[in-house]
Amino acid sequence: MKKIFFLFCFLFALVSFSQKQIPNITISDFEGKNEKVHNLLSGDKLTVISLWATWCVPCIKELDAINDVYDDWKEEINFDFFAISVDDSRSQKRAKALANGKSWPYQIFFDNNQDFKRALGTSYIPQTFIIKNKKIVYQHTGYQPGDEEYLFNKLKENETN
Amino acid sequence: MKQINILIFILLTTILTAQENTYISGSFESNSQLLQDDNGLNFNAPSDNFRSNNYFQLDFQNGKILYGVQFESYLPSALLGYSDVFSNNSEIAQYYLKYQNEKNEITIGSFYEQFGNGLIFRAWEDRQLGINNSIMGISYKYYPFENIEFSIIHGKQRVGFDYSNSVISGINSDYNLNKLLKSEELDISVGLGFINRFQNLDAGFNEPKNVNVLGGRFNMFYDKFYFNLEVAKKNSDVLANENIILSQRKYDGTAIQLDLGYSRKGLGINTSLRRLENFNFYSDKLAEGNIYNQQTISFTPALTKQQDYLLTNIYVYNAQPRLVVNNLEKRAGEIGVQNDIFYTFDKESLLGKFKTKLALNFSYWGSLETTFNEDQSYEASFLGTGKKYYRDFNLEIKNKWNRKTSSIITLLDLSIDKGVTLGGPVGVQGFINAKVGVIEINRIDQKNRNNRFVVQHLWSKEDRKDWLGFVYELAVSNNVNLFVSDIWNYGNDNDIHYYNLGGSFSKGATRVGFNYGRQRGGLICVGGVCRFVPESNGFYLNLSHSF
Repeated sequence: MKKIFFLFCFLFALVSFSQKQIPNITISDFEGKNEKVHNLLSGDKLTVISLWATWCVPCIKELDAINDVYDDWKEEINFDFFAISVDDSRSQKRAKALANGKSWPYQIFFDNNQDFKRALGTSYIPQTFIIKNKKIVYQHTGYQPGDEEYLFNKLKENETN
Repeated sequence: MKQINILIFILLTTILTAQENTYISGSFESNSQLLQDDNGLNFNAPSDNFRSNNYFQLDFQNGKILYGVQFESYLPSALLGYSDVFSNNSEIAQYYLKYQNEKNEITIGSFYEQFGNGLIFRAWEDRQLGINNSIMGISYKYYPFENIEFSIIHGKQRVGFDYSNSVISGINSDYNLNKLLKSEELDISVGLGFINRFQNLDAGFNEPKNVNVLGGRFNMFYDKFYFNLEVAKKNSDVLANENIILSQRKYDGTAIQLDLGYSRKGLGINTSLRRLENFNFYSDKLAEGNIYNQQTISFTPALTKQQDYLLTNIYVYNAQPRLVVNNLEKRAGEIGVQNDIFYTFDKESLLGKFKTKLALNFSYWGSLETTFNEDQSYEASFLGTGKKYYRDFNLEIKNKWNRKTSSIITLLDLSIDKGVTLGGPVGVQGFINAKVGVIEINRIDQKNRNNRFVVQHLWSKEDRKDWLGFVYELAVSNNVNLFVSDIWNYGNDNDIHYYNLGGSFSKGATRVGFNYGRQRGGLICVGGVCRFVPESNGFYLNLSHSF
């Protein structure tokens, strides 16, 4: 038992510092059509991925807040934004109505049985990622009003890198 | 068994070190509690008052080959309110080996899967609920053409660190008819799934060894409208509950769910209707009715709004798909509807200037209209409703007043059957009626820190009567936040405070959260699946990290 534990710890230490590649998991769009995550990413163009759910208040707050400044961001930076819902079938239909009802400009996808969330090792949402060349260059858990400005700065930093 | 696990693990790490192109990812999550006696709650901490649930997940990918393990440790016991099947165990709980290319995906070992919306089959993990009903066996997916998908599964379902005593086999296929239709606006897809459970109980009740469930799906999108229908039928089986076969008479079950919606920018409308008649399906028929949601095959969560505030989630609905025929209660399932409307005011309008967003939700759930006969048979009408189980009305108004200040007002009016929310027989104990109002204000102060204030009140003449609650949360920085909260049940003779204080630190893929205080007993629901947690007092610590 202890040996396994230490082996795990060792492996953690070993790989914790490397930049993580985004896993190539199948997700689906509004109409239920499947798409591999890698097919949605285009080269070194920055992509923001936000894992959210209809029942997650901070997730909705974050996506609402970014919606308010989205046009300004777009003027300054060239990026894609995917809001991937981890809602299960119970709330997935609500997610469609909600995303449109809120006039979100994001492309919405569904992580049907939370395969993508699991592959990312995400325990808490919202979890927001900035992806460049299929690598995670920045990520953050949780949302507090004002955090979106931090995300914007990180986008600017990574655009020039 | 342990040694085999270790051997497998060593084998995997050997493969790993031998290959350079291996891509590794993983995560670690730890949730611990230190419980203490609390006279005010009448809570006596158990002798093993330190409890901890820990999960390590490691995944490897080398080209088309993927493999991984999940190590779980519940030492010395699982958290309060979790099933005992986990307690005092520390082992590699799951492992898998997978090969995938463009058209095929084959997995040997543990896997998660769902057919369609999961109505007939969903194998998944939810650590907050203590659910991991993955299948150990073999799964094969085949994508012969774009728009067509087949899958086959076969194996045993996980129960704690063991497996259920049945064999689950299933086949599923989905077709998207887009290419045939050649339409920009119309999109149709259909699906068909089948699940077989083979269980040899030999309980002397002549119970069927094979029970099958068949489900079909039809999804249509036309311009801004959508229509999704799912129907399922379960073959007849004896009635069982909590390890006892109750009746030799065999009953079949059915499920129908219909979702209708319309959405455009600024407006979203959704209606979900569902009828469940004797539609519970477990990998062990004797597991029916277990309070820990272990060994579930079908996924029939409550279709109501998931509540997020301390006082709005006191009286929550839990789906009632069971057939019950006894002297205390007779019921055959549930039928009901949930409606959602989301609306954003136009930017140029007066309300739009304050970024006003409205969300309305309404639901009604009741028993099936049923006549029970003396020989324990029954007739249920297709659309009629019998007794009310639950009704609610939710209104949420969100505003952003300026760059620094935003608010959310939430109103909830509900009526719930006492048996559904408090336990005991359903449909005979009367109702709890409650109204809840919540005001949340977020304000960014001069030091650029967000201050979150929540004030809430629950009015009720039944059960524990009136409650008052507040939360204050300060985002000290982008990484650190602290909170203090209290909900005060003052309407009773025996008034009681549930105070909490805590905070969290998060950076990158790491999060540490802690809190100290009183946990209110009741149902904790995630995604419409509920787990009962007893009242407790203590210190709680959560860690998570992924790489």
